[in-house]
Amino acid sequence: MSTILRATGITKNYAIGKQQIPVLRGVDLSIKAGEKVALLGTSGAGKSTLLHLLGLLDAPTSGTIEYDGREVQSLPVGERARLRHQQVGFVFQFYHLIPELTALQNVLLARMMDTSVLQYWGKRKQAKASAVEMLQHVGLGERLHHRPTELSGGERQRVAIARALIAEPKIVLADEPTGNLDSATAKEVVDLMFTIQQERQLAFLLVTHDEGLATRCDRIIRMKDGYVVDQDLTSDEQAR
Amino acid sequence: MYRLFLAIRYLLTRPINLLGMGGIAIGVWALVVVVSLFSGFLQVIEDHVQASRSDIVATELPAWAEWPALRDALQHDPNVAGMAPRLLHYGLLVEPGKRPPPAPLPGRSAMHGGDQPFLFVFGVQADLEAKATKFDSWIRHPDIPEAMRVRDLTDPLAPIKNTPTVLLGIDRMRREGLKPGDSLRLMTANLKRDRDGRMTPIEIDVELIVGGAYQTNHGGFDGNNVFVDLATLQQAIFPDAPNQVQEIAIRVNDPTQLEATAGRLHREVQRTLEKEGRGYGSVQTWREKNSLFIKNVAHQRELLKIVLTVIMIVAAFLMLATLSMMVTEKTADIGILTAMGGTPSGVTMVFLSCGLVITGVGVVIGLTTGVVTAVYLEEIRQSWLWATGHDLFPLSVYNLTRVPCRIEPLWLLQVTGMAMVTGLIVSVLPALRAARHDPLISLRGV
Repeated sequence: MSTILRATGITKNYAIGKQQIPVLRGVDLSIKAGEKVALLGTSGAGKSTLLHLLGLLDAPTSGTIEYDGREVQSLPVGERARLRHQQVGFVFQFYHLIPELTALQNVLLARMMDTSVLQYWGKRKQAKASAVEMLQHVGLGERLHHRPTELSGGERQRVAIARALIAEPKIVLADEPTGNLDSATAKEVVDLMFTIQQERQLAFLLVTHDEGLATRCDRIIRMKDGYVVDQDLTSDEQAR
Repeated sequence: MYRLFLAIRYLLTRPINLLGMGGIAIGVWALVVVVSLFSGFLQVIEDHVQASRSDIVATELPAWAEWPALRDALQHDPNVAGMAPRLLHYGLLVEPGKRPPPAPLPGRSAMHGGDQPFLFVFGVQADLEAKATKFDSWIRHPDIPEAMRVRDLTDPLAPIKNTPTVLLGIDRMRREGLKPGDSLRLMTANLKRDRDGRMTPIEIDVELIVGGAYQTNHGGFDGNNVFVDLATLQQAIFPDAPNQVQEIAIRVNDPTQLEATAGRLHREVQRTLEKEGRGYGSVQTWREKNSLFIKNVAHQRELLKIVLTVIMIVAAFLMLATLSMMVTEKTADIGILTAMGGTPSGVTMVFLSCGLVITGVGVVIGLTTGVVTAVYLEEIRQSWLWATGHDLFPLSVYNLTRVPCRIEPLWLLQVTGMAMVTGLIVSVLPALRAARHDPLISLRGV
């Protein structure tokens, strides 16, 4: 399988006053197509910062990030935004749904991101059909026109997953996607994510504190104090 | 697409945005209605002033200016259709046996357009005046009742019982209870230079009989001017200068050439009245002659524009407040928009679109209701009068038959442009604040 995402020597410092606080101190990692990778570590280890850098939401202080072999960390803002839209889907712990929009509209919004009014108008029916299909796929066919406040936590996260997948990204970056759910709902959501991942052969980078969840991935990357301290195949993967 | 979609959803789910929209709509409405009313009023005033004046007037003529010489000099101009000599004096018209009314307060004289006992007395030749102005239609005005009409319309200033006649404005005649045949005294004075070179006032007293009424539609003119025969006034004030003229009323063939004709006639008057290398007299169009009066109304319209624009600025501040509040509420969305592929400029456009949609809808509502209100202003006045008994716009004061209104497309465009620019300015500030917001802060913290 080809490497979709490669990060080499990533460092990130934040300035607090005149002081530079290092958060990442030289991280190397790569993710292949169709691979599920768990990123484990304690709070403050730099997991979320690394996820934001890999998702091109922020620029590293040094190091390189490659998507499909192309260095992208220093591309212009607009170019990075387009790449993010085309390559990356995000799922967050707090869902980040837009409260004014229904479940369907939240998903459709992701399809509108790189189209003009006229372009979208031409393919609005097709876009709506694929959004409905995606929501049905995540089990929300009956909740299309409900707003986030009318949905449970698990349902909101399903909408967020549908939104992350609607633009057909190559990699999904999930930042503690079950951190705000009870264990039963969390299991349902994870099962759903992994099923879709298998169906679409998506690369998956999952930030989590949950060892149990991490062992369901193909590989675990452990972080501490801004360093990657361990990269192992999980026992499941080894057995396979 | 997401910018407009999100902007509209944000607006539809926040009724508070209607405040800004309503404010803009009210500002635009007021600007359209009030300025259309004033433009209509200005138009009516111009029409009334024009109707009460000759197209062109030769004025500021020196004491030695004589009618035959000026007539001969000016009558050859190809655009001159008719000319009439005039003498102008001021005085009091008093009924015999009555005391003269008290002197007006400073600044309230007839010269300032007030309804005062002091009047301007126009000495005219009726036949020539009818060729230079609308004098004939003034005395035949349909609103003049038969009992107050001039008896002999072919010779309106002919003496009655060997006494010179005077024509008064219809409203003044009504107010003072005068009717044709009533006796009046014109009390005035003239300054004469004595042997020592000092100016001494000489009292003048002329017996007159009311010949009838005239009406020009310009209330300010009718209320303060009366007409007597030129020879009568000549004999009373300039008995030693039988050809003296103080003003010449001129009608033109082609009104589109008014300014050019006035310029030619001015040069001709100056040439004719040249003395010791200096030309005397001045020729003005009716608009130039009354420019101060017309400019006053136009100036009031400009002041109102400024005052009403303030309403729109207040509405804009209201919009700024609601948009700023919305940006503060929606910072959580900025992170996810960025994560989905949005850029800072895209985020700016979301909130800018909100402001522009608010402004645009406000402008459309304001323009539509403003134009409809302006068109049906008279009907609205009558409905209000019927419902409350209060007249918003007393027409009789201005000699109008309905509330005037003139909708100027250029002004509508200017109001639209002004509102859109104001809306854009107040939308840019919160939109830029949204764009400067770090999306990672939204994504990390809840």
